[in-house]
Amino acid sequence: MNPCAVTTGFFLLGRCGRPSVTVCRCGRPVCAEHVDPQGLCPECAAAQAYADPFHPGWARGYRRRYYEQSSGQYSDPLWYSQFDSYDRDQFDTDDGFDVGGDTGDDGGFDVGGDDGNDWVDS
Amino acid sequence: MFWRKTRAAIERFHPVHQGLIWQRTASVTLPPAEWNAVVASLAQHEGTVKRRKWRLPDRTVTVLVPLIRVLCEDVAPDGVVGVTADLRGPKVPGKAGPSRELPVRRPIRKITEWFALDPWLAVRAVLRDGSVLELTVTDRVRYRKVHKVNPRGKHKTKTKTKTVQRVTARRTLPPGTDVRQPDTPPPPWIAVRVKSGKRTVIGSTMKLAPAPAEVDMVQWILAVATEPFRWTPPATSVRRTA
Repeated sequence: MNPCAVTTGFFLLGRCGRPSVTVCRCGRPVCAEHVDPQGLCPECAAAQAYADPFHPGWARGYRRRYYEQSSGQYSDPLWYSQFDSYDRDQFDTDDGFDVGGDTGDDGGFDVGGDDGNDWVDS
Repeated sequence: MFWRKTRAAIERFHPVHQGLIWQRTASVTLPPAEWNAVVASLAQHEGTVKRRKWRLPDRTVTVLVPLIRVLCEDVAPDGVVGVTADLRGPKVPGKAGPSRELPVRRPIRKITEWFALDPWLAVRAVLRDGSVLELTVTDRVRYRKVHKVNPRGKHKTKTKTKTVQRVTARRTLPPGTDVRQPDTPPPPWIAVRVKSGKRTVIGSTMKLAPAPAEVDMVQWILAVATEPFRWTPPATSVRRTA
């Protein structure tokens, strides 16, 4: 059974990891605690506009806007990209809950076929 | 006629909610599940209580509830969030300091100045990763009461106010946590202090003049609270939160 891939936390990002009971329309496995009455994950449910802070899902909907705003205030694109990569990794079920996906070992960001082995220290 | 039904409805609200209505203060430490009950109770207020005298303080909805929602996301189910909120405003007795008279020239007859210090919010949360986050918001209000007399002997007085808001955030890390200075400095309006030791303490402070609008206040508070979290790489955060 796939673990629940919902991003939890606000400042301290985490993954739920409980056993999932359904799959959201976005493809993410979701546990019983995080599933919306309509079968949606918190992010998809928040995308339907929870402007009211009294709603239990408000903080999850507000989180992305907060990271965008604070990244601009601090002129720190890394702050937002950390959150963004964390959020995107939820859809990669084979990453073993690693942040940043597969960009590290096999040169995922190399352009032109560089595999990182042809660099020479000067 | 005497708001009996409304009064009965208020008595069914959560005790913290009732305290915000009657005393306009709250000082309580609760786990996230109990805070959810408090917020659920507060959500019923607008539909139930129509009497203007018993409405919730504005900062309950604009600051307190969003802040509780945000902090409860980072607190473990057995963790706690402590809130001390004094939403009576800066005019209540005890908050005003001594007054003094300023030099004047005609037609002003007298200017009296005094300051009121209103520490209206203090929050302490024990987070999932073992760190402790403390937030405080303090308003410092300058009052100037001006009394002037026009050539026909007519007296006029008016009181002017100027509010400066100070927001502090302090995160005490668990022992042995890696601390890394962020690549970019914070904005110039945020001052940062880092105290190394057995438990590293990262503090950030902001002074805003004039005080932001009520609806924007939570954004500024979270902006100050951001800085201590930039000092710990995400890998040191707790990953799974089941």
